[in-house]
Amino acid sequence: MALNLNCPICGPRSGYEFRFGGEDKGPRPAEEGATTALWLAYAHLNRNVAGVQREWWCHKDGCGTWFRVCRDTVTNCEVPTVDTL
Amino acid sequence: MERLKHLPTLRIAARQPITLRFNGRTLAGCAGDTVATLLYGSGERIFGRSLKYHRPRGLYSLDGECSNAMMTIDGMPNLNAELTPAREGMRVEPQNVMGSLKWDLLGGLDHLAFAMPAGFFYKTLHKPSWLWPRAVKGIRRAAGLGVLHPEARFDQRCDAIYPNVDVCVVGGGPAGLSAALAAAEEGLRVALLEARPRLGGFCDYRVRADAQGKPLHQWAAALADQVRARDNIRVFTDAPVVGAYPDGRVAAFQRGGPEDAFDLRYIEITAAGAVVATGCIERPLLFAHNDRPGVMQMGCAHRLLHTYGIRPAADAVFSVAHDLGLEAAIDLHDQGVTVHCVADARTDGQDPLLIAALEQRGIPLRRGWVAHTAHGRSRLRAVTLGTPAGTFRQRIACELLVASAGLTPLTGLVTMAGGQVKYDPRTGFFLPVRLPPNMQACGRLRGLHDPAALAADGTLAGLRAAEGLGCRPQRKIAAAEAALAAAPGAPRGSKWLAAPGKGAKTFICFDEDGTLKHLHQAMAQGFDVPELIKRFTAIGTGPGQGGIPGHNLPLLVAAGQASPASDPMPTTVRPPLVAAPIAAYAGGRHDMAKRTPMHDAQVAAGGRMERVGEWFRARRFGTDPGAAAEIMAVRTNVGLLDASTLGKFRVFGPDALKALQRVYVGDMARTRPFRTTYAAMCNEDGCVIDDGVVIRTGDNDFYITTSTGRAAQTVEWFRYHTRYDGWDYHIVNLTDAHGVINIAGPNARKVLEAMTADDVANTAFPFAACRDLTLAGGIPARAMRLGFVGELSYELHVPASCMETAWRMAEAAGAPFGIAPFGLEAQNTLRMEKGHVILGSESEQRTVLHDLGLGFLWCRTKPEAKTVGALALRDTADQPGRLKLVGFKMETPGDGPPRDGSPVVNGRIRGYVCTARHSHALGEPVGMALVEEELARGGTRLGIYEDGCGGRLRYGTVAPMPFYDPEGTRMRI
Ligand SMILES: [Zn+2]
Repeated sequence: MALNLNCPICGPRSGYEFRFGGEDKGPRPAEEGATTALWLAYAHLNRNVAGVQREWWCHKDGCGTWFRVCRDTVTNCEVPTVDTL
Repeated sequence: MERLKHLPTLRIAARQPITLRFNGRTLAGCAGDTVATLLYGSGERIFGRSLKYHRPRGLYSLDGECSNAMMTIDGMPNLNAELTPAREGMRVEPQNVMGSLKWDLLGGLDHLAFAMPAGFFYKTLHKPSWLWPRAVKGIRRAAGLGVLHPEARFDQRCDAIYPNVDVCVVGGGPAGLSAALAAAEEGLRVALLEARPRLGGFCDYRVRADAQGKPLHQWAAALADQVRARDNIRVFTDAPVVGAYPDGRVAAFQRGGPEDAFDLRYIEITAAGAVVATGCIERPLLFAHNDRPGVMQMGCAHRLLHTYGIRPAADAVFSVAHDLGLEAAIDLHDQGVTVHCVADARTDGQDPLLIAALEQRGIPLRRGWVAHTAHGRSRLRAVTLGTPAGTFRQRIACELLVASAGLTPLTGLVTMAGGQVKYDPRTGFFLPVRLPPNMQACGRLRGLHDPAALAADGTLAGLRAAEGLGCRPQRKIAAAEAALAAAPGAPRGSKWLAAPGKGAKTFICFDEDGTLKHLHQAMAQGFDVPELIKRFTAIGTGPGQGGIPGHNLPLLVAAGQASPASDPMPTTVRPPLVAAPIAAYAGGRHDMAKRTPMHDAQVAAGGRMERVGEWFRARRFGTDPGAAAEIMAVRTNVGLLDASTLGKFRVFGPDALKALQRVYVGDMARTRPFRTTYAAMCNEDGCVIDDGVVIRTGDNDFYITTSTGRAAQTVEWFRYHTRYDGWDYHIVNLTDAHGVINIAGPNARKVLEAMTADDVANTAFPFAACRDLTLAGGIPARAMRLGFVGELSYELHVPASCMETAWRMAEAAGAPFGIAPFGLEAQNTLRMEKGHVILGSESEQRTVLHDLGLGFLWCRTKPEAKTVGALALRDTADQPGRLKLVGFKMETPGDGPPRDGSPVVNGRIRGYVCTARHSHALGEPVGMALVEEELARGGTRLGIYEDGCGGRLRYGTVAPMPFYDPEGTRMRI
C-alpha cells in the first residue's frame, strides 16, 4: 500500500490505480534455441533487490498504458529514473 | 450515581438517559457516555480479569491504551469499552472471567505467579512432549480474551474513502488545530484527524486559565470553531490514525454514530504534506499492585470529572510527576473529592501557581514522594506513599489513587514514516530528531506544554508544511518563530522509574500481565535489547499496542544496563497504531455488477439471474433446474441467448497481426477475411487462459472475441506482452459497446431470414463464416455462424443501443416457431454434449492446451512471433503425469449425473468431474472429467466419490467425445 506513481500520460496518481507488471527484464528472449531453464528464468526468476529497481506498471484504472518506473523497494517510493540499472 | 450538572466542560447530555445491560443487570448513564464511563458512573469498579493471573482490573485510562476495559458488546468480543459509545439497549459482558467478576474461580492463579516466570510459554511444559498439546488447551481456556461465537453475525455498515489533500494534520489538540488553520489560511486543502469524539485535545477538559485569563477549554473551543468554519479544512473526529507511510499516505478509521451513513469507515488520505500533532499519553507509575481497580491515570480522573460529570471517588491520593496531576488534584478537590495528599515524584520544577492553589486548599504536597504499594484486593483500600528509598513511609486509606509518572509523546507516526527519535534527558522523552520529507511534528509531541507555545509551534508547523508545497509565508513564519521563542519551552520531565523491590506485582504491561520481575528475569538471562525483551516477556505485545509499557520498558532496560551511558532505545512501532477492526480495512461491500441491455427483458420472461463474473446473466427460465424445455427447443426448434457478456475487441494497425501472433498460440497469418478462426491464448506456462474467435475484417484489421471472464484483462494482456516491441497497433474494447444475440436451433435460419433482406442461405453464409448484415430498420449486425451448442446458430453482434430492438425483432421473427430465450444452464448442457470446453469449468490453473485435447490449436512454426506460452507448450506436449480431459458415461444411468467437482477415486484421488449433466439427446447422463493420463483411455472405469455417498463409489466409463453429433453435420445445415 501507500504508493504514488507518475503515469507518463496522466501524471501523479494513487498506486491503487496501477497493476504491477514485474521487474524490467528486457525484451523476450528468442524462442528458437531457447532452453527450458532460460525460459523459466525469464518468466519466473526475479532479482528481488532491496533498493532501487526498474519495473513495469500498468495504469489499469486510468489510461491503460504500460510504463517503466524506478522504485526503491525499501521505502516503497518512486525515485527518479536511473539509467545504470 | 448523580452526575455533576453545571460544569462548563461537560460533554454529556444529562437529560438524555441511556440504559444498557451489563453482566445481567441494567445500568443507566446518559448520551455522550462511553460504555466505560457509563459503567464507572454506575458504580462498577471491576471491568474484567487479567490475561494470565486473573487479577481484577478496572478503569485505568480512557483512550483504550490497555485491555482492562475490553468487553464483549452485543456479541462482538474484544471491544474496548473506553472507545465504544454507549447506546441504548447494549448488552455488555466482561471477558476472561471464570465465575463472577468479583469471585473469579481462577483468581488463585495470582498466587501461582512465581511458577510463570518470563518466557514461561517458551520453556515450561514442553517436556515430555505429550504434555504440551494438553497444557496448551488448558492455558488457552484460562487465558485469553473474548470468545467469538461461531453463529455470531454483525450487521456493520462499513465504508472506505480515499481523500486527496494538500496537508494532513493528525491530532485535534491546540497544536494540530493551529497547524490546520495556518495551512488553510495559505489556501491549502487540509484534512484534520482526531481520535477522540471532540476537538480540543488535552485542553478540552481543563478549566485553568491561560495567560490572558481565558479558561483553556474555551480557548481550545474557539480554535476548534475557527477550524470548523473553514471550507478548506475537512475534520474527521472519532478517527484514530493507524499508520503513516513514507510517501505521504495516512490511514485511519472512523467510528460512525447513528446519524452517519457508516459504523466503520476506512480513511486513506493521500497528502503532499503531513503535520503530526498527536500529543502525549501518560507514562504509568510503577509500584506494587499498580493495577488494582481504583488506581487510575491523572487524565482519566480529570476527564471523568470534567467531561463526564462523574466524581471518581469520595476521597483520593495522588502520586504524580507532572503539573497536570497537580491541576487534576485541585479540580477534584473543588468538585468535592477529599484529596488526602499529593505526592510529586519531582523535588522541584512545579508551577508555583499550582503549589499556591494546593496550599490554599489545604492539600499537603509531598515533594519527591511516590506510591510504593496499593492495598486492597478487589478494589483499592489504602496506599503507602514514601520517599524513593522507602526511608519514610505513610499509609493512607483512600478509595482512589491517581498515579502517573508523567507523559509520553506519541511519536509512532514519525518513526513509521521513516523519521527518527532520540532520547532527550531533559524532558525524559523520545523526541523527533529527524523527520521524513514533507512531514512536520509539533506540540506536546516535541515536549512543549504551555498553551502559547503549543499554538505557536502548531502554527509554525502548518506554515512550514505550506512552504514545502510552494507557498511563501515567510513573514508569518518569522512571527510564529518569535512567538515560540517568547513562550515557555519544554518543561523538565520526571526521571522516576519504579518503587524499590522485586516488583513481582509491579505491572509494566497490563495486557500480558508482565511485571518488573519478569523484566529483571529476562535481563538476567542475557536479554539486553528492548525489542528482544518485548518478545521474550510479551510485554507490550497486547491489544493496547504497547500504549502502557511503550515508554517504561526502554527506560527500565537502559537503567539496568551495565553501561549507564547507553541511550534508551525505543521499540519499533508498526501499524496499526491502535487496534483496528479488520472490517474497517475491508471497507464497504459495493456490488459493481453489470447488466446487459436485455437484463430487464429476460427477468420479465422469467429469467433467474445470477452473477457471472462482473455480469448478471440468466441461468435458466422457469422452475426446472435442468432447463429441459430450453435444451429441447434448441435441439429441435430454435432458441435465443443473450451472449452480450462475451469480450469483444477490435485490433487494428500495421502491426496488429504481430500482436495477435504474440498472444494467440495459433497461426493468425492463416486467418481468412470474414472467416471465424477458433483460437486460444495461454500464459507463459502454457496454461489455457482464454479462447474465442478471431476474424480478419480488413487489411490490418481484426475482430476478436474472448470469454466473459477475460474481457476486462485482454487489453492489458495484449499491451503487456508487446510492451518492449513498440509496435504500431491499437486494441479497442467493444465489450460494452456491442450486444450479442445468439439464435440457435434447426429453425434459426428461418428466423434470421425474417430479420434481414441479406442473403443468409447456406451457400451465401456457410458455417464458420462471418457476414456484416443489415437488419430491418437499418441496424448493423456482424453475424457469425458458430457451433458452440452444436446446432445451426447465428451470433449477431449489434450496437448495444440497438440490442433491444434487434432482440424484439428476433422474438417477432421467431414467434411462428414459438421461439423462447434459453439460459446458461441449457447452454452448458448443450455445449457439453458437443465436448466443447468452458475454461474454468474444464480447466484449472495448471491445465495446459494439450490436456484439453486442443494441442492442434498451437502452431509450432512461428518462433519469430515469440508466442506467449509456446516454449511451455513445447515442454508439456508429451509430459507425463498430467490431468487429461475425458468424456464419460455412467454405469447406472438411472441414478443421474454425478455432481460437478466430485473427485475421481481409483485407489486414490486421481482427478475430478468437471461438468456432468443428463443428456436429453442421448437419454442418459454424460460428463467430462480431468483425470490422470493412465485413466484417459477409452473404456477405463472411473470411481466417482460424491458428497454423502458414504464411501460407496459410483462408476462411470471413459467414452469418446463429442457425445452428440460427432460428425458435426447439424451445425453445417
Ligand atoms: Zn495513465
